[in-house]
Amino acid sequence: MPLIRNTTPTAEPHALDERKPAELLATGSDEERWIAVRNAAETPEALSLLTRALSVERVPRVREAMFTALAKIATPESASVALPYLRSEDAGLRTQALDALRAMPASAAEHLSGLLDDSDPDVRLLACEIARALPTDDASRVLGELLESETNSNVCSAAIEVLAETGDAASLPILARCAARFSDDPFLAFAVKTASGRIGSSER
Amino acid sequence: MIDPPQMTEDEFRRLAEFLYRRTGMVFTESKRYYVERRVWERIDATSSSSFSIYFAYLRSEVRDEVEQLINAFTVNETYFYREDHQLACLTTDLLRERVATKRPGDPIRIWSAPCSTGEEPYSIAIWLLENWKDVDTYDIEIVGSDIDTRVLEAATEGIFGKRALMRLSSEVIARYFHELDDERWQILDDLRQSVRFSRVNLVETKETRPQGRFDVIFCRNVLIYFDDESRRVAAENLYENLLPGGYICLGHTESMSRISPLFEICRYSEAIVYRRPEELRRAR
Repeated sequence: MPLIRNTTPTAEPHALDERKPAELLATGSDEERWIAVRNAAETPEALSLLTRALSVERVPRVREAMFTALAKIATPESASVALPYLRSEDAGLRTQALDALRAMPASAAEHLSGLLDDSDPDVRLLACEIARALPTDDASRVLGELLESETNSNVCSAAIEVLAETGDAASLPILARCAARFSDDPFLAFAVKTASGRIGSSER
Repeated sequence: MIDPPQMTEDEFRRLAEFLYRRTGMVFTESKRYYVERRVWERIDATSSSSFSIYFAYLRSEVRDEVEQLINAFTVNETYFYREDHQLACLTTDLLRERVATKRPGDPIRIWSAPCSTGEEPYSIAIWLLENWKDVDTYDIEIVGSDIDTRVLEAATEGIFGKRALMRLSSEVIARYFHELDDERWQILDDLRQSVRFSRVNLVETKETRPQGRFDVIFCRNVLIYFDDESRRVAAENLYENLLPGGYICLGHTESMSRISPLFEICRYSEAIVYRRPEELRRAR
């Protein structure tokens, strides 16, 4: 039979490296940095290592592993390491930071009120996605509050999109008031109509 | 008894978008009837009085309701040649590309994880023996792994009932099994001994790394059960376990695009699969 059974121990894809994680992260190849990051999540100095390494890393897959390590640590402190990257000019980096924060919803929630109050509308917009991970009632409440006063239509659109999933009958008048405030914005009118349709359809 | 739910288009989209974000499962409008039937079962089982109440219950993730709904979708039943379009893709496309840079006698490693009671890794072995003309040219190693040691014991034993064999022709059964009695068949010893089984938790890097690197991984209907953090870790583990250019096959409703940006999507006539990109030397 051409099929073989390999009973000998298989070599690990990555043998242990004697160098310290900090050294590997500073001077290693892409592969070595990837492994160092994935091993670092378990160590006591992980946060300081990741904070420093993330600020200089340029290879997306190594950055991805860094954000996963932060999500695995899952503390308000590890979430705070990811937060500044929500302001990055690099869309890929912003998305990686957002995905990591969504993967540690309880830790990210500790920062949510500050993010929803941020002076940068792009940060408020991304914060709406973090709110999606909250329990349904909490998500609807914080996004409803945001919608009552938000002046940026893109942020409103993001909040409305989440409310289409989390909202209930109490969300409908908030959506209507938002649409009225932006009566000259056809996209927002469409978004409100869609969200209200989904909520109303489910509430019947 | 409550009336069966008449899911509106809005309700279907609300549910489909939630499931995609939460699990990576993709349901298009063409699956609406299928989805409605399963949701109805869960609405009934949870005594929810409307879609709205059930959806709020689902989102709250109490009592593992997301897992219960996934179970309703995935049919927790395994049998030989399940989703055989992926096996066809394996022999027509994936292995053709994998061997392009291999020499005769080189190893080809295939991993079935999770393998449950062994139907999938044995299916891969039988499919290759039956359908791949180059099967004698390379050293093909098949490994089956699961977190549950009880199913691994059953897999090693290789005894199956009629239902597990329902997709196999009588000729194939005669070639690769011997009949124990009217209800049970055992994989022939040669074939049984050609598949290695190991206990592995896909989110534990120290357990996945010793499995080595593979040309093709079958990882069907398991990532959908993980939360976002575990799914990211599992995806990175699987990435490490693939050779550069190696492929990973997920379940037919699953999408790696929602889970991780590490893989490339590959569309073949028989299946959509994902690939670990070939490594490039890049400046840091």
